[in-house]
Amino acid sequence: MCWRLRKLMTRQNLVLTTLLAPVTLFLGVFFLLPLVIIGLFSILSPGLYGGVEWSFYHWNYGRIFGWADGIDEIFEPIYLQILLRSLGFAAMTVVLSLLLCYPVAFWVSRLSPKTRLFFLFLVTLPFFSSLVVRLYAWLLILKPSGLLNSALMGIGVISQPLEILYTPAAVVLGMVYIMVPFMFLPLYSAVDNLDRALIEASMDLGANRIQTFFKVILPQTLPGIMGGAVIVFIPSVGNFIVPDLLGGARGLMIGNLVEQQFLSARNWPFGAALSMIIMSVVLLVLLSSLGRAKKAGV
Amino acid sequence: MRNPIGWASLTLFSLGFFAFIYAPLFVIIGYSFNSNPVNMMVWDHFTLDWYRGLFGLAREQLSGSVMPASGYVESTGHMLAALRNSLMVASITTVISTVIGTATAIALSRFRFRLKGFYSGFLMLPMMMPDIVLGIGLLIFFVTIGMQLSMLTIIIGHCTFLSSYVFIIVQARMAGLDPALEEASADLGASEWLTLRKVLLPQLAPGILGGALLAFVISMDDLVITYFVAGTDNTTLPVYIFGMIRRGVKPEINAIATLIILASVVIAAAGLWLRARKTD
Repeated sequence: MCWRLRKLMTRQNLVLTTLLAPVTLFLGVFFLLPLVIIGLFSILSPGLYGGVEWSFYHWNYGRIFGWADGIDEIFEPIYLQILLRSLGFAAMTVVLSLLLCYPVAFWVSRLSPKTRLFFLFLVTLPFFSSLVVRLYAWLLILKPSGLLNSALMGIGVISQPLEILYTPAAVVLGMVYIMVPFMFLPLYSAVDNLDRALIEASMDLGANRIQTFFKVILPQTLPGIMGGAVIVFIPSVGNFIVPDLLGGARGLMIGNLVEQQFLSARNWPFGAALSMIIMSVVLLVLLSSLGRAKKAGV
Repeated sequence: MRNPIGWASLTLFSLGFFAFIYAPLFVIIGYSFNSNPVNMMVWDHFTLDWYRGLFGLAREQLSGSVMPASGYVESTGHMLAALRNSLMVASITTVISTVIGTATAIALSRFRFRLKGFYSGFLMLPMMMPDIVLGIGLLIFFVTIGMQLSMLTIIIGHCTFLSSYVFIIVQARMAGLDPALEEASADLGASEWLTLRKVLLPQLAPGILGGALLAFVISMDDLVITYFVAGTDNTTLPVYIFGMIRRGVKPEINAIATLIILASVVIAAAGLWLRARKTD
């Protein structure tokens, strides 16, 4: 009996090991190791022609926060500005996509089942179509001779083309546009699960619409809001495609800095240090949202 | 909703929202048929020239054309090569990440072991990690170990995060299955492998198919990771289009973009149809 049990156990272990081996090896080598190497490179000195010198150098981080090389340097806030700007753009993207999606999620949840499915399909469809193509569309619309300016000048609202392309506004608009499906779906599932009886009770007991919204609806949908916010914030903060295509010098984000360090400036350790900053922001957001979810669960 | 005016304004806002999502795509489609090569935002007349040029068909020299016909033919070759690369990368990536993701989902749903909590948390990380961090991490890694950037490095890059996507989808399907069937199979003397092959996998098939489809679509569209680990000789379609847009807006991009939009609509509709048929 005992012998058979042990044999069963070892055979189970064998199956388990076989099932887990691919993911462990693959992610260990091609996910964890690269992250460790980024961390390592971020404290090495830059090589003359790209690459690294294998000697300890901690001013890569100093440079991001304003002191490029030792204490005698003058405070140079350009990189810090770009970092803060990236956080600001990502936060704005979260807020705007939330304001856009929340009413629509509400509207869709009140439709008849068939129409509801159709509009849910419409929300998810852009996810299947190419990201570059969707951003390119905004390039066509926003540029000085583009559709928006032609239309506005045609009806006589403006006489000079508006400068929208290559501004921070264009970057935030582009990010909102590509992030909308990611904000919508968690919001929708939260709104769809609303307990309608509670809303009716609140109204019956004399609360007005605004009170009902802030005291009953908002708290119930908060998990969906938080989920959507995290899912939108994380890819926005490190984004470099949107600012590359739609933002000019004033729309530069930390992702563009990273790309420059690796592909044109060839300062790999500085690029690695910048990536470590992006990574820590992401982990911080993830951990705090997990902590909040756990607290809410208890 | 009790207030009709409130409902009407909410409806108006929502329809505006969907217009915001779809108008840009229709702008591209519209202008891909515009014959004005100088300023494509000014409508001239209907043309299929940009599509003809795309497929390298002999193209009558239009007066006022900004580019000789040979220029289009050359870029057609590059574009088709990029499309071929994309399809190859996406196909191989789909197979590898589906195998890894499915095996992991089975292990985490059907076995109890000490590191289970760690694994299910860890598998979220490749999805949540910004792609630029993953991309440059892999770039430094490949350069450090002296591995030539190639199609292989692109495939590896895609598999690191797509395995997690497949894992999530298959695990969701797993959660809806009845373990009694597997227990019955084991009680009747089938080995673990036999149970896996004959009982579990057939039931999982829709989830696996869904995960594979998602992996294929995301791999086809991946730009950032590919951009960093592709090296100079291997371009995929998104990277090729990205480069084209960076070099300047040209009317052929509208035609390519329209074809991509159409392809994605077809894929999404097919996915939806498959799902609808499954529930019947």
